[in-house]
Amino acid sequence: MSVTLLRVAIVVVALGAWELVGRLANPLLYVPPSAALPALGRLLSLQSYPDLGEHLLLTLREIAAAYAMAIAAGLGCGAALGLNRLVGRAYGPILTALYAVPAVVWYPSLMLFFGLDAASKIAFGFLLGFFPITLAVLAGIRQVNPHLVTVARAFGASDLTVFRVVMLPAMLFTLVGGLRTGLALSVIGVIVGEVLGSKAGMGSLINHAYGLFRTADYVALVVVTLALIVGSDAVASVLERRAQRWTE
Amino acid sequence: MTELIVVEGVDKRYATSSGPVDALRRVSLSVGAGEFCTLIGPSGCGKSTLLGMLGGLVRPDAGRVVVDGRPVDGPDPRRAATVFQDPGLFPWRTTLENIEFGLELQGVARERRRAVAADLLGPLGLREFAGKYPRELSGGMRQRVAIGRALAIDTPIVLMDEPFGALDEQTRLLMGEWLLDIWRRTRQTVVFVTHSLHEAVALSTRVIVMTARPGRIKSVLELPMPYPRAIESTELVALRAKLWSEIREESLRAMGEA
Amino acid sequence: MKRAPISVRVRMLQGLSIAALLLGWESIARAGWVDPLFVPAPSAVAGAFVRVAGSAFTGLADTLAKTVIAYVLSVVLGVSGGILLGSVRPVRQAVNPFVIALYGMPKILVLPWIVLLLGFGTWPAVVYGTIHGLFPILVLVTGAVRDVDPTLLTVARAFGARRWQLHAKVVLPAIVPSVLAGMRLGIVFCLLGVLIVEMFAGVRGMGYVMSSLANGFRAPELFAATALVSAASIVIVLSLDALNDRLSHWRGEAR
Repeated sequence: MSVTLLRVAIVVVALGAWELVGRLANPLLYVPPSAALPALGRLLSLQSYPDLGEHLLLTLREIAAAYAMAIAAGLGCGAALGLNRLVGRAYGPILTALYAVPAVVWYPSLMLFFGLDAASKIAFGFLLGFFPITLAVLAGIRQVNPHLVTVARAFGASDLTVFRVVMLPAMLFTLVGGLRTGLALSVIGVIVGEVLGSKAGMGSLINHAYGLFRTADYVALVVVTLALIVGSDAVASVLERRAQRWTE
Repeated sequence: MTELIVVEGVDKRYATSSGPVDALRRVSLSVGAGEFCTLIGPSGCGKSTLLGMLGGLVRPDAGRVVVDGRPVDGPDPRRAATVFQDPGLFPWRTTLENIEFGLELQGVARERRRAVAADLLGPLGLREFAGKYPRELSGGMRQRVAIGRALAIDTPIVLMDEPFGALDEQTRLLMGEWLLDIWRRTRQTVVFVTHSLHEAVALSTRVIVMTARPGRIKSVLELPMPYPRAIESTELVALRAKLWSEIREESLRAMGEA
Repeated sequence: MKRAPISVRVRMLQGLSIAALLLGWESIARAGWVDPLFVPAPSAVAGAFVRVAGSAFTGLADTLAKTVIAYVLSVVLGVSGGILLGSVRPVRQAVNPFVIALYGMPKILVLPWIVLLLGFGTWPAVVYGTIHGLFPILVLVTGAVRDVDPTLLTVARAFGARRWQLHAKVVLPAIVPSVLAGMRLGIVFCLLGVLIVEMFAGVRGMGYVMSSLANGFRAPELFAATALVSAASIVIVLSLDALNDRLSHWRGEAR
């Protein structure tokens, strides 16, 4: 009697309970599925928020920019820290210490510097995505079998060749995992930034609906944003599996 | 000699991904009190399963196991203690704390547990390692702690499932001598599973040879020779050759099957 | 010339980098190349520290109080939930995908709803902090319970352990390292959650203090407050790490 049946049962019971609570208590506050679905319809047909497309696009562009910067900086810093022993041991602990700080403490400073525009969200998304990528590059370099490097050097390979031919394939697996986590965190960073204060983007719409007590629309917006997040992670996981197959 | 352990026609079948497998079929044997009885046979012959039944950890599909007149219904630390091939020491407990584990489960008071465990350190050769953790001990030492843990609860029966299997040959030989030393003093009933012909001949009073899967009893050899044993003696050399010829047949059959 | 040992060179590099950073920053600020409204000089920040100390420390205390409550709740719920899920296989398999989904979901999406429900006070911060810190602990503990060495459980059963003894004497000691790892993650997540709520809909606490300073364009004070809360966070995490080390001495190797 399968696990799948149990999972379906859980979903059904949860939705049912939600519907019940929504109807018995304040439906404006609790938005049962029966009210959420039509709101979703209104949202997707661009009735409740006609410029949904622009906001969605903006959020996606912010994510793309933040992530691209995070990859570039993450690969660079990770390589610098991982390949040079002195640099790694000097700045590694500083990096770890910064990682212990909840990232949102930087956000007010970013907002003060960049204002409420896209730049502060991109900066915040960059900050969040940068750490896992750097750490993954570091971890990847550390787990490369040093014997392989010795063998390559013995056959006359230069430093760059060693990096390209020995290290990169060996660390690809760890690296791709870090890239996937980095994407997830960049996405979270951009969305948190938007919700905490912005003039445009999905987060700002959510804020708007919340502010006007348009709870059904708020739920619909959350669903669409979740779809965006799940979608991006799904794409990342497909690419990750591609890369894994490639390294085997 | 009274028969302390009696196994009556037990079966055991396991369901595997490639269909059901008979581990044991209609196995009957008996072990007398104070004996050192070795179970030997090819891989997959079910000797560990059989030992599990004696310890109450495995339930037979048919037949039963009777110990001291009472049928076995589950693990009973007053009846038998088990030593596994993997010493299974708790990594967060020191040597002393690991040895007293069985006593702790039975609710024995702290001072008394400590005293029993401390007394065992000498015979175990672990006096300087009382406060060490398993990761600080060698393989042989860890197994000695596991054996100490079994001895601490002072059961009439001690079951050992290839306890020296993971050790190198030299350590094995020394551990065998050491075990014999201890057993000759306590004279508990020992059921000992092994692959090693040498251990069977050097340590046991009775050797039970099992067939390849599905396991049955092929033959029982009595070894009444005194200890310590001169394994180069003609008697023991002949016995060992006989043992090997019986086992070899079964090993070939087991390999062909695999 | 013989090179100094690496540990000395590391310290020198760290010290030089920080000094260079501060000096460079100070010079740039003084030369007027950046707007002091946005990038205050380190000396200004140090001065602002005194001015803002009162409200910053009060805010920090408030935030930490909420964080502690949320943390205790996360740990209790996370550990007990993890033990339950780890022990009962069918429940774990059925519930696992939901746990992972909830773990990965940005909880900020439900924050507006929580605030609508619970208002602007302490409770939304505590609730949100709890759900933030709960998941890493839950996931780590579930995995640890599931991965307890089966040989240890067999040994305990062979020695006559009853069910509660299996849990108390084998499972609990075995999962301590993972519980500690989860607790170390959890504190950062709880603090993060509380700060987010304070920034979103706060009237008190460090998050509120910082976002007010940002809105008021008081850059030196904001930088000082940011430094303060960062330092506090680092101290907390380092203390937990030290505690972790002391409790794990039987494991031997580095974390």
